[in-house]
Amino acid sequence: MSLVVDVMTGGVRGGTSIMYAALGETVSEKAGVINLGTEGSMLVGALAAYAACVETGNPWVGALAGAFAGGVLAFIHAYLVVRRGASQFASGLTLLFLALGLTALFGASYVGRQVHGFDTWNVPLLHDIPVIGEVFFEQDPLVYLSYVMVPLLWWGLTRTRVGLLVRTAGERSEALVVHGYSIEVWRAAAVTVGGMLAGVGGAHLSIAYANAWFENMISGRGFIAVALVIFAIWKPYRVMLGAWLFGMAIALSPALQARGYEINQFLLDAVPFVLTLVVLTVFGRKTLSGSPAELKRVFENAPPT
Amino acid sequence: MTVTMIKPVSDQPSDPSPATPSRLRTALPGIVRWTAAPVAALALFAILLVIQGTNPADAFSDMISSTFGRQQSIEQIFIRMTPLVLAALAVAVPARAGMTNVGGEGQIIVGAVAACGTYLALGDSMSGAIVMVTMIIASVIAGAAWAGIAGLMRLVTGVNEAISTLLLNFVALDLLLFLIYQPWRANPVGQPATRELSDAAKLPVISGTKVHVGIILAVVLVVVVHVVLRKTRWGFRIGVAGGNAEAARRAGFRVGALLLSALLIGGALAGLAGFVQFAGVEYKLRPSFGHQLGYTAFLACWLARHQPFPILVAAFVFAALGVAGDSLQIDSGVPSAAIYILTALILMAVLGFTTAKKKARI
Amino acid sequence: MSDDPAPQPPQRPLLTVLALTKHFGEVKANTDVSLEVWPGTVHALVGENGAGKSTLLKMIYGVYQPDAGQLMVEGREAVIDSPADARRLGIGMVFQDLRLVPALTVTENVALAMPGGITLKLKELKAKIAESSERFGLSVDPSARVEHLSIGERQRVEILKVLMTGAQLVILDEPTSVLAPQEVEALFRVVDHLRDQGFGVLIVTHKLNEVRAIADQATILRGGRTILTNVVPKEHTDDELIQAMVGHSVSDLVRRPATVAEAPQPALQITGVDCRGDKGHLALKAVTLTVHRGELVGIAGVAGSGQRELCEVAMGLRKPDKGSVLVDGAAVQSPRAALGAGASSVPEDPVADSVVGRLSVLHHMTLDGRPLPKRGFGINWGSVRNRTESDNERVGLRIAPPHRKLGELSGGNIQRVVLTRELSLDSSLVVAAYPSRGLDIANVRQTQQVLLDRRDHGAGVLVVSEDLDELMGIADRIVVMHDGHISGEVLPTDYDRRRIGQLMLGGAA
Repeated sequence: MSLVVDVMTGGVRGGTSIMYAALGETVSEKAGVINLGTEGSMLVGALAAYAACVETGNPWVGALAGAFAGGVLAFIHAYLVVRRGASQFASGLTLLFLALGLTALFGASYVGRQVHGFDTWNVPLLHDIPVIGEVFFEQDPLVYLSYVMVPLLWWGLTRTRVGLLVRTAGERSEALVVHGYSIEVWRAAAVTVGGMLAGVGGAHLSIAYANAWFENMISGRGFIAVALVIFAIWKPYRVMLGAWLFGMAIALSPALQARGYEINQFLLDAVPFVLTLVVLTVFGRKTLSGSPAELKRVFENAPPT
Repeated sequence: MTVTMIKPVSDQPSDPSPATPSRLRTALPGIVRWTAAPVAALALFAILLVIQGTNPADAFSDMISSTFGRQQSIEQIFIRMTPLVLAALAVAVPARAGMTNVGGEGQIIVGAVAACGTYLALGDSMSGAIVMVTMIIASVIAGAAWAGIAGLMRLVTGVNEAISTLLLNFVALDLLLFLIYQPWRANPVGQPATRELSDAAKLPVISGTKVHVGIILAVVLVVVVHVVLRKTRWGFRIGVAGGNAEAARRAGFRVGALLLSALLIGGALAGLAGFVQFAGVEYKLRPSFGHQLGYTAFLACWLARHQPFPILVAAFVFAALGVAGDSLQIDSGVPSAAIYILTALILMAVLGFTTAKKKARI
Repeated sequence: MSDDPAPQPPQRPLLTVLALTKHFGEVKANTDVSLEVWPGTVHALVGENGAGKSTLLKMIYGVYQPDAGQLMVEGREAVIDSPADARRLGIGMVFQDLRLVPALTVTENVALAMPGGITLKLKELKAKIAESSERFGLSVDPSARVEHLSIGERQRVEILKVLMTGAQLVILDEPTSVLAPQEVEALFRVVDHLRDQGFGVLIVTHKLNEVRAIADQATILRGGRTILTNVVPKEHTDDELIQAMVGHSVSDLVRRPATVAEAPQPALQITGVDCRGDKGHLALKAVTLTVHRGELVGIAGVAGSGQRELCEVAMGLRKPDKGSVLVDGAAVQSPRAALGAGASSVPEDPVADSVVGRLSVLHHMTLDGRPLPKRGFGINWGSVRNRTESDNERVGLRIAPPHRKLGELSGGNIQRVVLTRELSLDSSLVVAAYPSRGLDIANVRQTQQVLLDRRDHGAGVLVVSEDLDELMGIADRIVVMHDGHISGEVLPTDYDRRRIGQLMLGGAA
């Protein structure tokens, strides 16, 4: 197995959790709300999925539990921000803390327990294609689901009424009120859906990728997802590519080490973050101009309200 | 020529739509709301403990007696409070300039790394006092520089510092781990860590207690920051820039320099917090160094509405919560991180319920 | 107005407002307001902002509910509890700030307004839009993104949207303030068309000449009450109408002819300037303009012709790509340089650009570009206070007390603070963008007087305004901009609305 294929496969695998979270955050930010608590949604999603899977033995139940948990956490963020006018940054971080605490409290009893998560399933015929087959079609079901999620989300945002309302909430919320729609409802819905997807991303980590649970296992992927949405200019297809790119950066270290290369693990761990910073620096101005108008206001008005 | 144009009058708002806070919020004065918030938070926390299988009454009483009943714990509160105060000031100063500094984590780590590096380089060859002064200078510069990266990114490319400082946190963490696991590793087996500071280089303690003098530094800086923000020209200018950058620009202020300087000072304060945590609390660098200090300080600053003196109170509260969390672990067997739940609940109560709701525009 | 055709069945008014009252505590926004709008007519609602027009509109549109009185649609009593109710009753509202979403296409914006299922049938909708656009005489491009449309085009989209959702009564809220005279004429042609097709139009305006041009009936509001109800404009003189609106006659402006000072350099010298706007487009194209000391130059133009960028370039807020900008002989590349050369400015949107909400009036008086008065490391607030007092007296606009926070003041009060600050200095150049916005007639007069005083004291004054009468009243010459160019210059002897209007739309002088 060549290094490149290894890295690409690992990239798709490892990037999927980031992709779910980033797709979710895309929906939320399209509606004008940034959720720094995405990392928290992934955390509670990971634990919920793990626990549900351990208890029921069914990873799909786990995935649903993960979505539910992530959604509930995000809903709190939505409530605080949309209904109570709280600062988006402060609220997001607060929810991250809540997630850290909750998962510490309820997760202690699950550390070290065995779980049977998602197995990989080779797609017949397609997985025989050289290179592509190995990278894309020898993965677990949640990865396959993510392939579908991207066009689904794109279609939902651009071709449905719901998508139109979400986008309007993020561009010019007064236009919603004038036509009799509630800004609060649609913003909250978008944020909650975002959290649900992040929860599935967390679930992927705990019951498909690592098949383990330990405190703080998300290690920054939620934040990467938030940054990813920005440099993908809020476009689902770009999010997909970006997530795989980051997955590859994360997969590089173990792949190299498995081949006996002496590369410092921590330097490689820093690559995704440095990469994001570099991309933001290079493309910064361009990405900001493509942002939803309401989000621009959040960034410009940051601290005290 | 008679002008027949009639200009719109708007010296009084044409339809003063009344803000409609809920009846609850107009009826209860602020003080009651501020006490109701933590009480509600405690109640929710208690419920969660019950679900998890711990007796909340026991847990709470243990927490209270452990935290406030022993001198050792009270000292711990002051010890933990110090870097929190500094790190919260690190959020408050940029906030005045309209900037969101969530990079406390990274700036603290980088400050501590700089201090440690200084010690490792000089520790044996120079006297304790000189080493300490050099460590302080190094940590302040390092923290400022780390924040400065985000500041430059904002200035040159417009990337919001909330994102860039956040990402830099993780880079700093990886830097820390790299140093601890390789070049600076002091112990070949077990949890990696750097060499412990010699006694001469540690922060001196206030006699009779275990509390180091950092607390005095923190209080002094609170006063300094308060005075600088309120009374100096620079403080006024960054306040204008933070309130309306365009207005500052049109007034001829050098907005870019103001924003950058605010962020640099924030980073410097956080770097100092890193020094204090290193030379006054942990004495060496470990993988868990500074555990969430930066984010806790960010939230403490929010709780204090970014005002220096209330930051002292907020930091005290959060430090007390931290000590209480340890007690949870020791006395009740609940993981100490669970205290974050209580922290978060209090914050949610404050964030969500102590300001008048803004009415949606039609 | 069309002749009465063959006998028709007795019609009922589309909208009847009967003794409508709405008070907000102490503030009596509307008291006993009545009017009628008949199908196939245009009714003008006239009055100043404090007069209660927007409250009335909000009651008609269901945003507020009246304390007393009645609303009737087609003769039947109507309870309008929400905009949805209003729409169902056939009332359509075109807001002044056009509630369109700039980032979305015309079709998407219309889709927002139409009821529909889960999926947006965009292709179908596009066809419907094309068809309706023909029928109502409103040409729009369904695929265009709203942010790329001109204000006139956006208005058409809004009107089309309103018609497509079934409105019989179309309410236009101050639609002409951002249009050039010829665009106003185009709008009025649309309104005529609507009238001929039997729609009712309620047009809110404060411009008397428009009332005369388009309205079959008018109702004048002042202080929340109807002063003249359902009157036919041509049966009243201008003075009668003004009296009704303002309660008194308006005094004339005192104006001496310009004495262009003997100064070594002009106040402002812009030469061959090309400049990009915020969206990357070329906002100024080879612009050359000189403002001498002691003259007042008016800038006319449709919104978006480059006036904003012109003012910004003059104040060093925007760097030109080509050409030079000199203020009092000094090259200007930054706000500091412009301020240092003696320029002062009144921005177009002071609430967005000059206000720091939590700071007080006193704090804002230090933001004039002069060095902050020192006291140790701090500011000498005592001297600021003194200066503020004397400035207030000199300019005469009676600003709010120094301790008031600007965030709490109304738009007009904010404007007065900014004007007082900027017009009390001994500037070499004064750049004023829409200085009279938000002010009542007395303060408008005062402001215009102060601008002329500054001119008489040797400053070069540049005034951008959408009010041609104002410019013709105070400017020594009017420079007209169109699409980033200077399309022409008009001298007082040739002051003529039509002429200037032509230049505003790019026609030859």
